[in-house]
Amino acid sequence: MIRLRVNGEPLALDLDPMTPLVDLLRRDLGLTGAKAVCREGFCGACTVHVDGEPRLACLTPAGLVDGREVVTIEGLGRNAPPSVAPVDDAALPTALQRAMLEEDAVQCGMCFPGMVMALAPVLEAEPSMDREAIRRAMTGNLCRCTGYERILDAAVLALRPQQEAAE
Amino acid sequence: MPPANSSAESRRLLTPATIPAALEAQAAGARLLAGGTWLMRSALRDEPLTGAFASLHAIPALSRLDLTPEAAEIGAAVTHARLAEALAGIPELAPLAVAAGASANPGVRRAATLGGNLCATEFPAADLACALLALEADVDLERLSGPGRVYMAQFLARREALLPGALVAGVRIPRRAGRLGAHVRLPLRKAGDYPVAIVSLTAEVADGRLSRPVIAVGSVEPVARRWAELEAALDGVSLDPAAGASAAAGLLSSFSPREGIEAPGWYRAEVLPALVRRALAALEASA
Repeated sequence: MIRLRVNGEPLALDLDPMTPLVDLLRRDLGLTGAKAVCREGFCGACTVHVDGEPRLACLTPAGLVDGREVVTIEGLGRNAPPSVAPVDDAALPTALQRAMLEEDAVQCGMCFPGMVMALAPVLEAEPSMDREAIRRAMTGNLCRCTGYERILDAAVLALRPQQEAAE
Repeated sequence: MPPANSSAESRRLLTPATIPAALEAQAAGARLLAGGTWLMRSALRDEPLTGAFASLHAIPALSRLDLTPEAAEIGAAVTHARLAEALAGIPELAPLAVAAGASANPGVRRAATLGGNLCATEFPAADLACALLALEADVDLERLSGPGRVYMAQFLARREALLPGALVAGVRIPRRAGRLGAHVRLPLRKAGDYPVAIVSLTAEVADGRLSRPVIAVGSVEPVARRWAELEAALDGVSLDPAAGASAAAGLLSSFSPREGIEAPGWYRAEVLPALVRRALAALEASA
């Protein structure tokens, strides 16, 4: 039995412990935000948070999240760290997601949940990041629409209030 | 696409808390599981992922990272990301810090471990293995019969014989004051890709001259190895990146480069002089 919390909800699941976490989320829980695209850790589309850290759900056996806290894109607003959490706790989306909307950064949407999940804790940990640092942090997230620049624009925008406050 | 590894019958995941318990599980048939970045891709290699697995993540001794003036002792379960962060700014350990911080991508680096990099015998582009060769590390092995220590070069050359019944517990890297190092790699894309070729290099630099260089080459042949001919050629000569590259260009015949979907064998060897030049330039910059 695998016991974990997903987006704040406690769960106990009786399943093959070597099931990739992305399949647990999509097949067993219906959380289809994380995408199983390359299944080899190259594209980042399956990125979720495990105990607050971005993890590649395609390479993570379900058994290794026993006792841990998993947050998917569906739960980001409710469980995000403070800098990316909604200004109003009751409101979604998060500040990072709002910046993505404002910059019209979403194209086909396949890479997008992974992009947001990879960026959110990195921006939280290092709010002083510049564009180049954000670019390096996105190395493991591929966008086949090649929409990188607008995604970068949005990440920079999301950080701007904190950076201006720090000046 | 169907879920990866979906064909497996009942699989079990054990979480031993000690090295002896992990060895007992292994003796009973369990495969050792570290970061999962190799095993979890088994389906893509058409390899079955069945039976029992023993995760190493709950064994504290495998997560140690101890830096003393004499040595760096690093447990097998330490991730690339943790290595890169912990070793940043330590000149004599630069090859390992760069290797850990530049390999794959951030998500893989947060999961992939030092031990996994050494034990993935079918993975020729292992950055850490190459860096550890240049750093003249020792590999600590644990068996039910007791612990043992082997030189990195011996480990890589014989690991298919050494690994059955053994657990890689970690590495010990001697820290030698005044020794500098560099690690350069050539991925086809700027980042997030496997390297076509890798050069790791350590040496002492005094009065502008190289002394006792140790040069390791990875991803060119199936297993990383030292470039003894180039080490001999550069020992005692001026630290001159262009001259070093010329020397390397004349010593390529000892390589039997591997063919691969991302690059032909001849190309892997042909880029080595350029990588040697870059490695020497990095050494020069840090001297």
